[in-house]
Amino acid sequence: MTSSRPDFLAHRSGDAVAVAVRDLEPGPAEGGYLDGDATERVELTKKVPLGHKVALRDVAAGEDVIEYGIRIGIASADIVRGDYVHTHNIRSARWQNSVA
Amino acid sequence: MAKQRRLTGYRRPDGSVGTRNHVAILPVDDLSNAAVEGIAGLVPGTLPLPHAFGRLQFGDDLELTFRTLIGIGANPNVAAVIVVGIEPNWTSIVADGIAKTGKPVESIAIEGRGDLKVIEHAARYAKQFLQDASELTREPVERSDIILSTKDGESDTTTGLGSCRVTAYLVDRWVESGGTMIFGETSELTGGEHLIADRCVDDEVRKRFQSFYDNYIDMIEQTGANLLGSQPTQGNIAGGLSTIEEKALGNIVKTGNVPVVGALAPAEAPTKAGLNFMDTSSAAAECVTLMTAGGGVVNLFPTGQGNVIGNPVQPVVKISANPKTTGAMSDHIDVDCSSVLSQESTVEEAGEALIDIVERTINGRVTAAEALNHREFTLTKLYRSA
Repeated sequence: MTSSRPDFLAHRSGDAVAVAVRDLEPGPAEGGYLDGDATERVELTKKVPLGHKVALRDVAAGEDVIEYGIRIGIASADIVRGDYVHTHNIRSARWQNSVA
Repeated sequence: MAKQRRLTGYRRPDGSVGTRNHVAILPVDDLSNAAVEGIAGLVPGTLPLPHAFGRLQFGDDLELTFRTLIGIGANPNVAAVIVVGIEPNWTSIVADGIAKTGKPVESIAIEGRGDLKVIEHAARYAKQFLQDASELTREPVERSDIILSTKDGESDTTTGLGSCRVTAYLVDRWVESGGTMIFGETSELTGGEHLIADRCVDDEVRKRFQSFYDNYIDMIEQTGANLLGSQPTQGNIAGGLSTIEEKALGNIVKTGNVPVVGALAPAEAPTKAGLNFMDTSSAAAECVTLMTAGGGVVNLFPTGQGNVIGNPVQPVVKISANPKTTGAMSDHIDVDCSSVLSQESTVEEAGEALIDIVERTINGRVTAAEALNHREFTLTKLYRSA
């Protein structure tokens, strides 16, 4: 992990999304993983409030979105690395009626 | 690991151990709330427990109400109970169920007497019970004597990243010390229910757990409703949670790594030490009320956006890692672990701080929710009354 305070944290290596641990502005952001020392630098396309998610990799519409090493839903629109991820571009895989 | 603190509690006639010493005034039904408040008004220091139901219930729903009311009276945090109902039959069922614990119970029905005669009769017992309870003293107890419960509320992504990891640290230590822990929130396992099933100690527990889970989810899914805003809640979504699966995986973090030794019906008391699942709603007051009826004496409550719930019988300890919440809503937060989120402290350091507060709460420290008079006592209703 970086020596300075992270901008975002991901649970597991391989996760598609990480969580902003402070309010983030568009532009470069840096964070890491709870399960290792790897770091990630992404270029944020939008503001991401504390607690909201940042894409660490591209996910095409219809593909699984992975967090905690497990599927948390399905991309409902194409997601690219650095995107803000929330109910506008991900939906539940289990409760398919649950859409924004 | 830090040296273990000396714990104290009230040992009840059935051997169970409480962290509080309430004289409860318990209505069997909504019609008896006024008399219950009247009794408690005459004898300050007793604990009235008004609630909204108890009439024309039937079948499993009635059984659950009885089990909940009896469990609340039987909870080790309660020293003695006055039971008041509109009619004598169901009143006796609740009173007799509580009396099996050996603690003092007096019951009275309103029909044929009216509120004022009931209040006069019951207040005299309440006064005596309160004086008797005041002479009960705390004695040294062990972690293995203490049933804790855990539920999170208005969770967000900081719960899975912070407060639930800190809670998990305590859960693992508590169970390793021979203690008992109850978790629940059946619908809030969706997407990670296989993780819980895999941790069940044997096929019998796994089968019971899976049956509770499947039945609850069938009930929800049969409605065909769009659940976004309900589960996850609007607060969850505002906090960054996007789907039920994401919420569930954070929720499950708080259960730690220990095996699941029991799968309990709502309000059912655990029979085995260790981590027990209870089939509950994920709504905070309903869930914590059921866990209190199951015997929980301190509840650990991670929150993200700032759920303010308390329970009249079971102290609720609030834990948050969201720095906005621990700032703006610090009045409600017992343990601020936002430094885990900024990586300025480790889960172990924050976990030891949580254990410190929980053990002080066991020993009598008043929680934020208790100080702010949060007494949410909410029965779970399975279906409409007849």
